Amino acid sequence: MAEVSTGPAPYIYVCTRMRVRKAKLLPREDYLRMLNMSLPEITRFIEETEYKSEIDELGASFRGIDLVEVALSWNLAKEYQKILEITPGALHQFTMSYLRQWDIQNVLTILRGKYQGVKAGRIKEILIPAGKLDRVMLDRLLAEESVERIADALRGRSLYPVLERELSAAMETGSFARMENELYKEFYRSIIADSKSGVKGGPVFLEYIRLEIDIRNVQNLFRLRMGRMDGDVRDMMIPGGSFSVDELQRIAGMENTDDVIDAFQKKAGFESISALLDTVREKRSIHEIEIELTRIMLGEMERLSKRYPVSICPILVYLEKKKFEVQNLRALARGKEANLSSERIGDYLVM
Amino acid sequence: MALKDVKPTRSELINLKKKIKLSERGYNILKMKRDGLILEFFKVLETAKDSRGALGEKYERAAEMIAIANTFEGAIGVKAAAMSVQETPEIAVRQKNIMGVVVPEIEASRVKKDLHERGYGLLGTSSVIDETATAFEELVEEIIRTAEIETTMKRLLDEIESTKRRVNALEFKVIPELKEAGDFIKMRLDEMERDELVRLKKIKAKSAKAEA
Repeated sequence: MAEVSTGPAPYIYVCTRMRVRKAKLLPREDYLRMLNMSLPEITRFIEETEYKSEIDELGASFRGIDLVEVALSWNLAKEYQKILEITPGALHQFTMSYLRQWDIQNVLTILRGKYQGVKAGRIKEILIPAGKLDRVMLDRLLAEESVERIADALRGRSLYPVLERELSAAMETGSFARMENELYKEFYRSIIADSKSGVKGGPVFLEYIRLEIDIRNVQNLFRLRMGRMDGDVRDMMIPGGSFSVDELQRIAGMENTDDVIDAFQKKAGFESISALLDTVREKRSIHEIEIELTRIMLGEMERLSKRYPVSICPILVYLEKKKFEVQNLRALARGKEANLSSERIGDYLVM
Repeated sequence: MALKDVKPTRSELINLKKKIKLSERGYNILKMKRDGLILEFFKVLETAKDSRGALGEKYERAAEMIAIANTFEGAIGVKAAAMSVQETPEIAVRQKNIMGVVVPEIEASRVKKDLHERGYGLLGTSSVIDETATAFEELVEEIIRTAEIETTMKRLLDEIESTKRRVNALEFKVIPELKEAGDFIKMRLDEMERDELVRLKKIKAKSAKAEA
């Protein structure tokens, strides 16, 4: 039977669906309204949105903040898996590569939880199976008795080489910091390799990933400066962005924040966000800078998705925006439970 | 001192006078020490007030930051970052002397750490963890400072209390009793003197009568 060529239709269909889904995300006004609500009101509000089925499904097993949190995580994981199901061809491959960051987060959570002796049930509650490792695999990892056995169970997966290389040192020092950094660096290295593998749409994917790397490096550089880190920062920077790690090391050594922002703005290829970096000058605390940079990143990603309407960009923008929606809702619920003031919670929301 | 035990003799009176003088001198010195300690206490109290205020503020900030960190990073994320810290701050306690009161002088190893010294990963955490860690490092530093000031204050208070008790004992018990005993001896001696005088007068009268 001859293969039926579908042309660009499935790509256009998926990108349009992503735009529709993105339009359904909660607007800023809803967050502002929720800031003045109590936890039960927030739960009820969430129940009236896209999260209804999860809240109903989990209502019998969880209550209060746990119900909100687990329902949000389930919804996020389900949504990401649904997107993977509907994305065709290269878009599927790129989406899958991009979602591998959730595998890192889940594996690190399991490793840390096990290392600290946290009960498997408690760890399971905070896992978000939105990546390549599905719920069954994560359950298998959770059932393992030791950290070493968890790493062994991941043999053959993309995370394994880094785990094999770094785990013994992490266990020896009791700090997973270096391993965590290496896992994320390896993740970005592999998605850059995927985007350069010659698959159609790769350059757009690469442009998007480089933007994300740039923003993360800028964020981390500001964090390191605030944390009085004046040594070698190269190990903590992600290679592959507009700036080489040596350039970032040079910038890290600069005396004041304005010089750092100037250095970023002068960089060729960084012009698109350089004007936006001016807003960072007015911010004082690191979380304000971090959230402002996240907003800049989302704005830029949005711009990319409009420039390349039939590409991986609309999908990734939706994935990111959905992630921040879930993060915001969780923060609202947890913040209310911890009796934090609305202003304080509002400071940390990405709206 | 019960008056019945007092021997109404001149030597006893001299001894008592010496004791009264010594007690009064001790009383004055202790009163000066008490006043000095109170002055010193008020100086420390001012610092303690500031330190308590700062401790309260830092505690509130740390509690708020841990709530924010739990909100944004989840309990395990926060715990994982906390477990990354390997060193515990070392504390060296020395002693110093304030008007004879031995108070501690606490010196802590560096509690506040640079970001790379904290041991958690940079790429998998956010600045909320940094801010929380900073808030708790500042809280620990303030606790150490407050511990030194408040222990000094407590020791000074104990010393003021015991000095006050001694001053009061001297002022209201020892010196009045000694003075009372002195007065009693004086009165007894006067009485004995008058007895003697009357006796001598009687003897003299009797002998004058016999001669007549």
